[in-house]
Amino acid sequence: MFAAIYIADFSLEALLRNAPDLRATPVALVDSDLPKPAIIQCNAAAKTFGIVDGLTASQALARCSNLEIIIRSTAPEASATEILLQTAYAFSPNIEATAPGVCTLELKGLDLGNLPAMKLWCKKILQALGSAGLEARIGVAATPDLALLAAHRPESISIIQDAEDFVADLPISALAPPVEVLEILTRWGVRSTGEFLRLGKTEISERFGPVALELFKRISPRSVRPLKLFSPPELFSEQMEFESEIETLKPLLVWLNRFAGQLSRRLEAIYLVAAKLHLRLGLAAGGPYEHTIDIPSPTGEERVLCRMLQTHLETLRTASPIISLQLSALPTKPEMHQFGLFQNTLRNPNQFAETLARLAALVGAENIGTPVLEATHRPDAFRLQPPNFEFTPAHHSKQTIQNEGMPLRRFRPPLPAQFEFDETKPVRISCNIFSGMITEIRGPFLSSGNWWDENRWAREEWDVETFGGPLLRLFRSGEGCYVEGVYD
Amino acid sequence: MPAANVIQLRTLLAEKIPGLRMRLEAPHMAEYKFQAAGLRQIDEPLQGGFPKGAITEVIVAGAYYGSSTLLQSLVQQAAKANEILTLIDGNDSFDVTQLDEKMLSRLLWIRCRSVAQAIRAADLALRDGNLSWVILDLKSNSDQQLRKISPATWYRFQRLVEETGTACVIFTPRRMLAPARARINLRLQISLGAMECNPGGLQHQIKIEVSNSMRLGGNGIPPSTFK
Repeated sequence: MFAAIYIADFSLEALLRNAPDLRATPVALVDSDLPKPAIIQCNAAAKTFGIVDGLTASQALARCSNLEIIIRSTAPEASATEILLQTAYAFSPNIEATAPGVCTLELKGLDLGNLPAMKLWCKKILQALGSAGLEARIGVAATPDLALLAAHRPESISIIQDAEDFVADLPISALAPPVEVLEILTRWGVRSTGEFLRLGKTEISERFGPVALELFKRISPRSVRPLKLFSPPELFSEQMEFESEIETLKPLLVWLNRFAGQLSRRLEAIYLVAAKLHLRLGLAAGGPYEHTIDIPSPTGEERVLCRMLQTHLETLRTASPIISLQLSALPTKPEMHQFGLFQNTLRNPNQFAETLARLAALVGAENIGTPVLEATHRPDAFRLQPPNFEFTPAHHSKQTIQNEGMPLRRFRPPLPAQFEFDETKPVRISCNIFSGMITEIRGPFLSSGNWWDENRWAREEWDVETFGGPLLRLFRSGEGCYVEGVYD
Repeated sequence: MPAANVIQLRTLLAEKIPGLRMRLEAPHMAEYKFQAAGLRQIDEPLQGGFPKGAITEVIVAGAYYGSSTLLQSLVQQAAKANEILTLIDGNDSFDVTQLDEKMLSRLLWIRCRSVAQAIRAADLALRDGNLSWVILDLKSNSDQQLRKISPATWYRFQRLVEETGTACVIFTPRRMLAPARARINLRLQISLGAMECNPGGLQHQIKIEVSNSMRLGGNGIPPSTFK
């Protein structure tokens, strides 16, 4: 058995899933790439006004003044195709991308032996597509071609158990024969496929040639063509090309929030969550802007995804306006996390990542993190690395690890100062925070490093007690005399 | 016993404004949990350490020192307890090179260049909800910058920590924080002779004066000095 998922007026449906409020109004889709731009698809509301395919926009507007005309765009169609195939793949391992808006699934090995189980299975597929904003129909039959014919019926789910009965009642136009063949058959008075079959395979093929054989094959319950199996990409994406350029954050966020919601629902439908988000902004001038957001705790929660995107975009300035948008999610299975008894980990890693991003935007990414000491004797040598508190091992030692020296409150950069020397030792200091005599002194402590390269450094250091003032660390280097900090 | 309509009003307000505080008075001492500082001089008078869900002001005024000594001690304590400590360094003055790398592994250090930046960073850190221990060091910021902080800022911080249960410790050069639940004055005088003793010994030389623990509870604790 095979199932065919069919989305009627696919190009229009792909656009309407991003504008659900237009569904109730008359809408027509115009393909501007045609030599003579004309309407190629329209919705049911438009059809009631007599709008048909092939009319020009002005002809259609003459029939319905409030007709909404949309220009065909490939980006939403690509997203809708992706949704269709990924959803189908979640329900059957053997799928075929049959045509735009049509996907065929093989039911072999799916344990759908009885009718209620099959109906429930079809209903779940339609629900998953519906949650992604696509209205589809499903047909189930013995062959892929019959399943597709069944899917063209107005019912949302058509399960064909008796193929011969089903075929006998089909209008001949459902087989979509070539126009000249259809005309001849109509002139002969052949209205249904049942009548067509009664003419006889040999007789018909003598008259029409291979075309007739193809039509016979399509409606034969024993003619099972092999599926061209397809594996959908592992990346889930939503994309849009804007008719007018976007220059501010607000309209971009509207689209991003919508896309994040759609991705969230698509992932949820197949029990996955997002591990990474990839944002691609097409710019009016030059190449696109691309950025990947790692999600510390993979999630499909729409609110969290939206907030992460918003946090990133708040500090983003692009060189030119935005003309297209693509948001992709790399899916993964939801994490099952067993916390250790003594593990103090982050309650909400995604919130923490967002806070870090906001803090980095505020103070600069180089000024936030966990300090790591550099392997050098150069004073104040450290670097900051992104914090990783998730898997830091606990220190179970009861002993206090002693630090070295008296704590110093540093001046960054060191305070320039003037020293008065008595032979080799400073006796008086003058700087922004203190001017006066030095009462007690320790040093000099000499240190140097990197003598083998251009970053060489050398300094003399003193610890001094000042008269009625603070306890200071002073140093002299090739650049001058400085106060490094206050002992505190 | 509140009247029925008052109860209804409170329920309605709680529904409309989540996180709204219904009581005018501060919670009782017994309602607080504490973040142990690892120093007897602090943990004993504060009955367990810095109160969680409240602000503690640490004042290091005039000719006294000890704020960096205490900060180092708190970083060590956080690492030992495997707690994340967030240090918002108001004037980028904290010296990390004197600490062991293991001690630094639980430290989130935010290096700021001005009070305004530090206040905004603290606001973000306190809203996060993951950070159980946030320290804001304004000790070495200029008085001119500190005077620009609106008093409402501290009340906003107090509301934030009440929601998240964060222990917030703010180092200041003078008394500044009206809504602080606990206020302690550091008293440490150091000389070059102190270079001889190890920093652990120095930590125990810090004198702490709990000057305003009255707000901790209904009964209050009289001001006391611990050595």
